[in-house]
Amino acid sequence: MQKCIRTLIAAALLALLFGCAATGENTEDQTGLQPDATAQPESAGQPGQEVYSYPYGQAPTGYESYDFYDTTGGAVAAVQPGAAPGAAGAGAVSADRVVYFDYDSAQIRADSRPVLEANARAMVGNPKIITQLEGHTDERGSSEYNIGLGERRANSVRQFMIAMGVSPQQIRVVSYGKERPAAFGSDERSYALNRRVEIVY
Amino acid sequence: MNRFFQLIALLVLYCVGLAQAQQTIDITKGIEDRGIPIAIAPFGGGAPEDIAGIIAANLKRTGQFVPRPSGAPADYAVAGQARPGGSRGWVVQFQLTGAQGAQGAPLLNLSFDVPPNQLRPVAQRISDLIYEKITGQRGLAGTRIAFVGRGGGFWFLVIADADGRNSQIILRSTQPIMSPTWSPDGRRLAYVSFEGRRSQIVVQDVYTSARRTVSAAPGINGAPSWSPDGRRLAFALSKDGNPEIYALDLATQALVRLTNNSAIDTEPVWMPDGGIVFTSDRGGTPQLYRIGPGGGAAQRLTFQGDYNARPAVSPDGRHIAMMHRRGGRFHIAVLDLATRQLRVLTPGGTDESPSFAPNGAMIVYSTGQRLAAVSVDGAVKQDFAIRGSARDPAWGPIGR
Repeated sequence: MQKCIRTLIAAALLALLFGCAATGENTEDQTGLQPDATAQPESAGQPGQEVYSYPYGQAPTGYESYDFYDTTGGAVAAVQPGAAPGAAGAGAVSADRVVYFDYDSAQIRADSRPVLEANARAMVGNPKIITQLEGHTDERGSSEYNIGLGERRANSVRQFMIAMGVSPQQIRVVSYGKERPAAFGSDERSYALNRRVEIVY
Repeated sequence: MNRFFQLIALLVLYCVGLAQAQQTIDITKGIEDRGIPIAIAPFGGGAPEDIAGIIAANLKRTGQFVPRPSGAPADYAVAGQARPGGSRGWVVQFQLTGAQGAQGAPLLNLSFDVPPNQLRPVAQRISDLIYEKITGQRGLAGTRIAFVGRGGGFWFLVIADADGRNSQIILRSTQPIMSPTWSPDGRRLAYVSFEGRRSQIVVQDVYTSARRTVSAAPGINGAPSWSPDGRRLAFALSKDGNPEIYALDLATQALVRLTNNSAIDTEPVWMPDGGIVFTSDRGGTPQLYRIGPGGGAAQRLTFQGDYNARPAVSPDGRHIAMMHRRGGRFHIAVLDLATRQLRVLTPGGTDESPSFAPNGAMIVYSTGQRLAAVSVDGAVKQDFAIRGSARDPAWGPIGR
């Protein structure tokens, strides 16, 4: 199937390449035709004709349109190779696996300590447990800067757990920045729910 | 009471002084009917695409032209036809004439032999030829944009024509996709993917779909940016503890670290001279800084507003577009590097991710959910025909 699609794409590209020559008309009229600086002469032209090619016909082909894509349902079963299965949005995380942060802050809040201490004790008690700490931010600010902020938060939790005796080998850190909000509103309540680190076993 | 008024007067004077010191221009109003009138006649011949309509829409969108019906008074006129025939199925001919009309020699007089599926691309091409002939600037109708769409539990990497039509999903993932950016030759996109629940930087050929992971270091792999010669990628890695700027030679795999600071350093973009502008919060808030081609001491570029991030460099290297926060709202602003004047281009809200068009005339950005574009002088606004959500736009280069 993949081979078939590849052949089709290659054939389409070839067809486009050969299908895109444009020829100048009235070549005797010097004022009427200014050769385009970007045009690449192609050998396929008739002798004596000014031949133009344009790259716009060489469009990538064989892809599905985003316009017609049903973004509301699960119409598409296929997942790109290499993509791990997983919850698409942030699913509901139980309260004993998530801690929250103040705006633009990676400081562990006092109300987070019981949750972190309980998780750290479980991990110290069972060194086979590996957790992924997933840092998140609210929607304000640039995506990539928020990736940095989310990592700062996850690293704060990591340091706290290591101080509690958890082995660094038991902890992985990833930051999703503002890409996977838990709440989708643009209000203070949603922001507060999104500034978080999830402890994923 | 008098003293009270004196105090108020002083305060007002102080505020006026502050406002003047900031030297900022707010341009949020579009200018109606500004532009060169051009009469465009319908293309006869029965083509399934409305070629005259596509040309009119493209020229109108530049903000520099006012398309008129044929026969209306105008500085320029376009007439043409698309009829079945020629070696490839369709022959598209057009003439561009100046103020003298049919009496003067045509400024452009071209004929294209095209297959039926190339009628729209040829209309884009004709739009650009007309635009370039009259303005002397490169046209954008034939360029593409890439962006990230989201919906139904998926992230989509999408490419579309410069007007947002003809959108194509080149990658779909159940994990986030971020920060696509075009290679200078327009063949490849570099972007961030979270497949496998970890970040990596992937380079994908949009023609063949071939993908290559170029960085999957522990921690953050973010914000890729192509060097002007297309040989290197700059990006942010946190493998040494916190986000720093690196440059990777794609052929030799040589990785060079360019910053060394305990702050968040991210969002590098190359200047034409090989220097790099990036976002850092080393001063307490996110601001833009500049380093030379080999790294070295960073020079701070932004001083207004409490948040300046996500820089984009104009093709001539004279302007830096950015996300700029003031009064709690994010705007797109542009900094003139010569005059140091910052110009706010959008009314603001959650505007983010600016990207320059390859002719430097327009800046595409995301309002958080949709794409919009604004001219560098703030006068021209542009929408895109995209139905789904769209973020993180990147305007591709002009084709060879």
